[in-house]
Amino acid sequence: MSAGHLLSAAFLVTWLSASLRLAGPVLLAALGETFAEQSGVLNIGIEGTILLGALASFLGSYYTGSIWLSVLIAVIAGIAANVLLAWMYVTVRASQVVAGLVFNILALGVASAIYRKALENPAVPESIPMFQPLHFPLLSRIPWIGPVLFGQTILFYLTIALVLAAQFILFRTNFGLALRAAGENPAAADSAGVSVTRMRYAGTLISGGAAGMAGAYLVLAQIGLFRESVVSGQGFIALGIVIFGRWNPLKAALAAFVFGACDALQLSLQIFGPKVPPQLLLALPYIVTILAISGLFGGKAVQPAALLTPYEKD
Amino acid sequence: MPKLFERRLAPADSPLAILARTFAALIAAMLVTAFLFRSYGANPWQAYFALFHEPFATLRGFGYTLVRASPLALVALGTVVSWRSGFAYLGFEGSFIVGAVVSSWLALSTAPRAAFGPMPFLLFLPLAILLGFFAGGIWAGMVGILRARWGGNEVLISLMSNYVAIFLLQYLVSGPMRAPGSNPETPLLPRATWLPFILPGTRAHAGILIALIAAALVWMLLQKMPLGYELIVTGFNPFAARYAGIDVRRRTILAAFFAGGLGALAGVVEVLGSQHRLMEGISGGVGFLGIVVALLARMNPIAIIPTALLYGGMSVGADAMQRRANIPSSVTLILESLAVLFLLAVDLLRYYRFRPSSLWRQPPETITHGVPE
Repeated sequence: MSAGHLLSAAFLVTWLSASLRLAGPVLLAALGETFAEQSGVLNIGIEGTILLGALASFLGSYYTGSIWLSVLIAVIAGIAANVLLAWMYVTVRASQVVAGLVFNILALGVASAIYRKALENPAVPESIPMFQPLHFPLLSRIPWIGPVLFGQTILFYLTIALVLAAQFILFRTNFGLALRAAGENPAAADSAGVSVTRMRYAGTLISGGAAGMAGAYLVLAQIGLFRESVVSGQGFIALGIVIFGRWNPLKAALAAFVFGACDALQLSLQIFGPKVPPQLLLALPYIVTILAISGLFGGKAVQPAALLTPYEKD
Repeated sequence: MPKLFERRLAPADSPLAILARTFAALIAAMLVTAFLFRSYGANPWQAYFALFHEPFATLRGFGYTLVRASPLALVALGTVVSWRSGFAYLGFEGSFIVGAVVSSWLALSTAPRAAFGPMPFLLFLPLAILLGFFAGGIWAGMVGILRARWGGNEVLISLMSNYVAIFLLQYLVSGPMRAPGSNPETPLLPRATWLPFILPGTRAHAGILIALIAAALVWMLLQKMPLGYELIVTGFNPFAARYAGIDVRRRTILAAFFAGGLGALAGVVEVLGSQHRLMEGISGGVGFLGIVVALLARMNPIAIIPTALLYGGMSVGADAMQRRANIPSSVTLILESLAVLFLLAVDLLRYYRFRPSSLWRQPPETITHGVPE
């Protein structure tokens, strides 16, 4: 295969549109995580929350028959699961790494126990109806850009809207200011009348809802079925994207697309490609994320100063 | 009125209080799980009997308990060394795989007509342990270097490195190390490289002895050696450590090295003792469950051994429970993680005094004393 082949239009279009498609769920999870981390909570539990959201949307789709209701159910499930996490992080003041990590194991156990139970019902289908790519009149016909930008599912456009909303809320509203204050200097925020507890609960619950929705995105727009392995580290990648994006929703979107591009390169090269071991390419997004958060390229200075530090009023 | 829970000013941290809280957490987790058993239509007593009878009351089952406990204990020991040194390493799945890969490579090289040719077991075993320990140590040490030199976040980097190792393993067993045949796995390792079985009639192998020795060494390192003291000080307060002349960066990297080495030993033991070949998914979540074991043992290297036996046994019993009571074995994951979450939560109780006597005893009359009606 020649270099010219690699740059062929078909390859580029497949690659870029897959990049955007694969970036969606991690971007959603990263957006929510940005709120949690800006409030001072490193919520590792989003990995497990995405899994619970994926299961909730799968079962929701079967029991309600409505694709939008199942997204809503996934969001509610994510928030509900994160009430436990927020209580551990904020009220119990447990180590955030420990609580999040153990929660992920708990979520795996819960999801797989519920899924096994659901499978006993023979009416539960193997796969469920999914969101279809939208087709815009005219716009989708633009060569190159059309199929890449205007051939995604509605969830993708919703995610982009949420990026803008998150940017606005975090940096242009009182709530966003209070949230960031709780993560930067909780004692000062407290004396200024901000309830650090409430802000951190809010941040954690927002990340839970977003992670639940990310699970729904995976199931309803990408895979169409549930397995215990559907998430496989996407929550951890979202954590990396938050750092890579410097705790800023717009930059996180860019970081997510870089990640999506690595992931998609692997798919495209398998279709078009030269003989590269697929596992090497599969590992690529993780290696890129490691390098991005390694500290080799700076970034410690913009981290919320009170991240990982439980706050105790004295 | 005396309250059932009375606020106290200093936290209760006597050994008895810690033990009481640990048991309270375990019992709370078992209660919640009992309700789960009910929802599967099973009798909780019978389910718990199935969960604990086979692994602890039958010889064959206990053999399997020892098999499962050894890698768990080794990962937990790695957790103790690194976390107490302030290095929150979460990459044990990765180091497990690294250890499994290098030890099976070494074992396969001792096959007749392979690179090294047959070697005596007494030479092979130390070589495999050293090679595994160093390979895993270097794997995790790289994370330590990123943290110590450039301030990278070890929590996330080590989580990511797990996936790199998983794909490396997939590549090796489906490509260069694959045995001719359908499954992506290596050939069976030469019998001469297997760890000896230690209990006749069971699958129990010498891996548990390696875990016991490692526990003793880690205890010695942390309690009796200056290096261990420096590691713990580094974990407690890196600024104080630096002020006291401890090279914090070097200690951090060393802690990462030990953690990765111990995690890799878990892989060595699993491959040479139990699986006898390398395949995908060989770690099976031990890298995370081992951290849970360390947490439940409150980061005490000696307490890790009984805790690992408990959790190893539960994973053996889970299969029995699935067969006999038709409860999915993943319910034990819920039990195992809830125990630690409750353990964290009961730490709130450190600040309370439990007064069961308030339930039946009247408050002492203090003011009316001696005052005429």
